[in-house]
Amino acid sequence: MRGWIEITVRDKHGRVIQHGKHEMRSFVNNFLKLFAGMLSAPGNTPTAMGYYGVYASTSVIDPTGATQTIYIEWYGNANAAGGGVVCAAKAPGSDDSYGIVVGSGSTTLTLDQYTLATKISHGTGSGQLSYGISTFDDLGLDMTVSPPVYRFRLLRTFTNNTSAPININEVGIIGRSYWKFTSVAQDIKYMISRDVLPTTYTVPAGGTATVAITIEVEVG
Amino acid sequence: MIKCELIVEKDGKVVYRDISKSFVQNIGKILGVILSSPGGTPTSYAGAVTSAVVTDTTGSSATVYGEYYTTSGTADCGGTPAAASAADNDDSYGIVVGSGVTPVSPTDYMLAAKISHGTGSGQLDYDTHTILTSYTSTSSYIEISRVFVNRSGADVVVREVGLIVRNYWKSRYNLEKDVKFLIARDVLPSPTTVKNLGSLNVRYRISLAVT
Repeated sequence: MRGWIEITVRDKHGRVIQHGKHEMRSFVNNFLKLFAGMLSAPGNTPTAMGYYGVYASTSVIDPTGATQTIYIEWYGNANAAGGGVVCAAKAPGSDDSYGIVVGSGSTTLTLDQYTLATKISHGTGSGQLSYGISTFDDLGLDMTVSPPVYRFRLLRTFTNNTSAPININEVGIIGRSYWKFTSVAQDIKYMISRDVLPTTYTVPAGGTATVAITIEVEVG
Repeated sequence: MIKCELIVEKDGKVVYRDISKSFVQNIGKILGVILSSPGGTPTSYAGAVTSAVVTDTTGSSATVYGEYYTTSGTADCGGTPAAASAADNDDSYGIVVGSGVTPVSPTDYMLAAKISHGTGSGQLDYDTHTILTSYTSTSSYIEISRVFVNRSGADVVVREVGLIVRNYWKSRYNLEKDVKFLIARDVLPSPTTVKNLGSLNVRYRISLAVT
């Protein structure tokens, strides 16, 4: 499994002024931990009274550096709509806490990293970018390449609403483990990938940077 | 890049070890639907937030959920998107083995000829699963493995292995989703004969390294 990061920078008139495509090199340990948690889940909890609680979990490092246990298989105990998701990444607009995130840092990657080196916050203040909505495209099976691949893509646009240029040097994906019933049982965010870009992308005042991350799995 | 390695041990000795080339398209669908989920759904919400259609182990199209909340008003509600740790003696998901040799296709949804759990002719005794993990700052891996014991009284020949996961969501009174679907299948380059009372240990190792 591998991925590609494609960045397109436009000026305030919408003209493309910088574009590049780079291979992702940097899923981090949290992503493997998610996999380990899913593979460890039993998935056969009886439908009988009292079978609630955590049946599978895994330990990750959240963006603050704290160790957190995320649920992989979980059942709430109240008369409510219970359930959740293990690694949501389609963050809404204005939310820089998960989904695709960008930063200005260039610290060399290690697998135990849990946050960008210097995340650029959402906003319109100095050094900030306005985080757009996330979109997802299931690109499906491509049998025209060898070996065939299955692809999907996450995309997010960042707008510079400040009066000065802003440099992007790193890109990450932060997932969200979210489980609820009558109340929120768990809401933990954790970084699953980080890439230091080989080129600095400079978003001019009034311009945008669109980051598309395409993940592909070689199949068959 | 994430790599998946398939390791097959017979009676404690490695008889096959290579990069697994054989994820099938269902794995892309389940990973995609999980990551495409928004999270943060209001506590009053019931139903599917994200779903995808996979091909289940019977060959039927089946909807699976990435983010899901069970029917409101019933207790013990929740689930899991892609469970693989099937229990002892359960050959319906987790690591499975077979005798078929049909070349792997991206659209495979089942082994060509799965060997059933049991002690009868041509069967193997399916054990529980074991998960191993190792994490460092430069290279990490996780591994799921399962042991198969031949108690049939005669040789059993294994020619293919696979990994089936289970999308499972339930409340106290309702099983709201239970779909099993294949995410990986490998045909071994040469058959592996498991002698009576011999064992086979099949391991999928997923690894990550700084490049």
